[in-house]
This record gives sequence, structure tokens and C-alpha cells, in this order.
Amino acid sequence: MREMPLSGHDLRDIIARWVEPSSVPASPRIVTDISDFFKVDYDDVVILDGRPYFMRNYEREGRFGIDEEPKFWVRRAIDLTDGSIKIIKMVFHEQFRAKVGNITFDCVRSPRKEAIILDMVKGHPNFMQGFSVCDPTGNIIRIIDFIKGKTLADHVLGLGENHEDYFHNFFPSVLGEYIDLVKAIRFLHERGEKHGDIRRDHIIKEKDTGLCRWIDFDFNFMHAGNMFGYDLFGLGNVLVYLTGRGDVTLQRLRKEESPVLDHLTADDMNIIFNNRLVNLNKVYPYIPDDLNVVLLHFSLGANAFYDDTDQLLTDLNEVREKISN
Amino acid sequence: MAADKMCFLDKNRHILIAVDESENAKRALLYVAEFLGGVPGFCVSILSVILEPPVDYFKTDEERTEWINRKKTEAAVMLDNYRRILVQSGFGENNIEPLVEVISCPSIADCILNKRQRLNCDTLVIGRRGISKKEEFLFGSTSSKIVHSARNCAVWVIE
Repeated sequence: MREMPLSGHDLRDIIARWVEPSSVPASPRIVTDISDFFKVDYDDVVILDGRPYFMRNYEREGRFGIDEEPKFWVRRAIDLTDGSIKIIKMVFHEQFRAKVGNITFDCVRSPRKEAIILDMVKGHPNFMQGFSVCDPTGNIIRIIDFIKGKTLADHVLGLGENHEDYFHNFFPSVLGEYIDLVKAIRFLHERGEKHGDIRRDHIIKEKDTGLCRWIDFDFNFMHAGNMFGYDLFGLGNVLVYLTGRGDVTLQRLRKEESPVLDHLTADDMNIIFNNRLVNLNKVYPYIPDDLNVVLLHFSLGANAFYDDTDQLLTDLNEVREKISN
Repeated sequence: MAADKMCFLDKNRHILIAVDESENAKRALLYVAEFLGGVPGFCVSILSVILEPPVDYFKTDEERTEWINRKKTEAAVMLDNYRRILVQSGFGENNIEPLVEVISCPSIADCILNKRQRLNCDTLVIGRRGISKKEEFLFGSTSSKIVHSARNCAVWVIE
């Protein structure tokens, strides 16, 4: 790590423009090489492409069932030139075996993939926005606009007095947002890229604009059969969640002593997560068949799967037309 | 001479066998060997597809190149074995062309179908891996996709 010949006093003045006086460090450290993200501390000023960023806390994320896992390589920061809040994603070469249900596959965290997609989706309303720079040692650092808002998943949980109220009065608009999100994924697929980690907590509903944006596309894996299959699986899970206003799990139905339990079969459940109900019509009979049939493509009983986003969109647009009338 | 020209000039029927290192692929090749070996008028391309790893899937470009080269070598050895099986079964040396393709494609099925179209093969032969429904859902099935998407050719799926 290299110290920059900049006056600590000047730097404190710059920092003081954007934070409370009590948050201005006595002697901020300037950092340019961030190869080892563990050496980047709270209150450091990281210079990237000549621009100073005042480092704050690291971000957290749930993953594979572990909630709130710290992501030490992802830090919140203040751009000291304009005071905007950024997410700085440093380089973490992580290789791991992902487990989805009982299927495992090799994954990597790919800064280059995320940088390519950030360029590709510049100005797209349904993706996080940002850019990448290389630090002096060639690490691809991504500087991302902080999105103020809730995840779409958390947002829908607060809609409606009960599921029926939600479904009739809010879901049509949620479905419209979801269709835009699927179109955004089609935009990537058409350009030979995949999101790689489609999950409901990777969609943020921006507070100021109401736009839903995909975040975090640095996962990558070697595909064989269908490059987009895993993305479609993620899209299906999100759709089932949005339709059910949350996961309808066997545990939940048992807890509620639901009479539906007597009529469920294995075919009604999620093809991978066998404790999640996909055939939601059995619990919420007002869900129209057209929509339920789309959901059933993601069930254990499915005889046909969606190969691409176009097929899914065709069916969703028909559903939207019917539930809007 | 490229396989497509060779077959075109000779007015032979051109068969494309897509293989990997699996037993099912070997069964597909053996089926063609037993079924058509010694029968005149056929030429065979044996295709092994190596999907290009995603960008920075490996830590360094050297690691990536080494991985691709190793895969190419392994594929070449496998195809040579398959070539010999076909020769032993009665195919002419000049009517067999091993092909190793390192390519970036949405799926292996797409690569195979594109290659079939470029070579203008009459028949496409593949083995069936017998993957689980869950695997097919997550990552797709090469044989299913080929059966559904192939046009202007016969498809033999060998179990």
C-alpha cells in the first residue's frame, strides 16, 4: 500500500464537507493499492482513477441459507468529489462449489464479468449503475451507485391486508415490475451474458424512482447444457415468491394446520427446493390458471421447462393481459 | 480436405457424431460403427466440443490457456481412439474426420447444431447422458435441446 503526498489537513477539510464533524478522522490514511481488501480500513481514503473515496462499513449479504454474511471486499464509501454514496467492490478471487438443492457446481466470483455487464447496462433502468477502474496493480474495482430502497421481496411483504387483497389490488402492478425485470435479463442473454445469481434479494426497489434494479452480477460458472438455465430457475423462484407474497413452505402450512396439506403431492413443490409450494392455486384458489400454469413450469411435476426468457415473457404477457381486464 | 467438401464431392451421406468423454457418447459411436461399418457411401465427422471457460473463470490467462490446451489434447486422444474404432468397423480412413472445437456458445447443443449446419450433415448422432430432471431443469439437456431444435436433418439419440 502506498502513501500519497497529500496534506492530512486538506483531506480532513474535504471529508468534513460530507460527514458530521465527529466522523472526520484525525489523520486519514490515503490508499491506492487495494489488492488486499482486509488492509483497507474504515476511515481510509482510497484513491481510484484519481478520485478519492472515504471508506465506510462493509456490506452484508445472506447466501446459501446463511444470513447476513459479511462481505469484507464490498464497502460503502463516500465519493469525496460530490458526496455521493458508492459501493466499492474490491477483488476477491473466490472459487467455491455452489449447492442448489442436492446439485452442486463450481462457481467463481468474477470482477471482469461484472465490469463488462456494468458497461453493457449503462443507463438501463433495471440494473444497478456504476463503472469499473483498475487499481495500480491491475485489480478490477467496481464503483457502484448506492441504491436507496428495500429489496423487492421485502417491499411486497408490506403490500395488502392479506394475500387476497394483495393479489387483487397490488399484484398486477408487481407483475408489471417483474416483467420488466425479466426483460432486463433477456437484455443480458441477448448479449451473451448471464446474471448468474438471480435471487429475490438481488432486486432493489429504488425508493426515489420506484424502479426495480438487479444487483450483483459477479457470479460465474461453467455451463454445459443451457447457459441461461440457472437464471431461469432464479426468475421462477422470484415469480413464485411474488405471487405468493412470500414463500409458502410446508413448514408454514403445517404451522397453520392448513387443510391444503391433505391435497398436496410432490409434484406441487419446487423442483429444487422441495419444501416450497409452487402450485399456489391450491392455497389461493383465486390465482388464475394461466398464471398457475406458468408457476408449474418450476415444479417437480413439470413436463416442460422454459428454455429462454422469451418463452417466459410470452406467457407472462398473456397473464398480465388477463388479470388487468 | 474438410469433411463437408469430401462428402459433398463423393456424394456420400454425411454423419456427424457429437461426443464427449462419457460412456453414452462412446455407445453412440459404437452404434454407428456397428450399424454402418463397411457400408459404402457414408462419411463421418466426430465432433468434440470444448466450451470456452467464462472470462476470469481461472485466476490467470496462463491457467486458462493451460486448461484449454489440456482439454484439446484429451479430446484429440479420444477422437483418435474413436477414429480407429470406425476404421476397424469398416469405414474408410478418408471418410472420417475428427473435429475438436473450442467455442463460446449459449449451450453445447447450440454449438453442435451450428456445426451440423455448417458441415451440412444429413444425420446427427448423440448419446443420452440420462441426467436427472433437476439437472435438466437447471442446466438443460443437450439431447433434449437437439431433438427439439434440430432442423433439416435426422437425429439419432443413442441410449
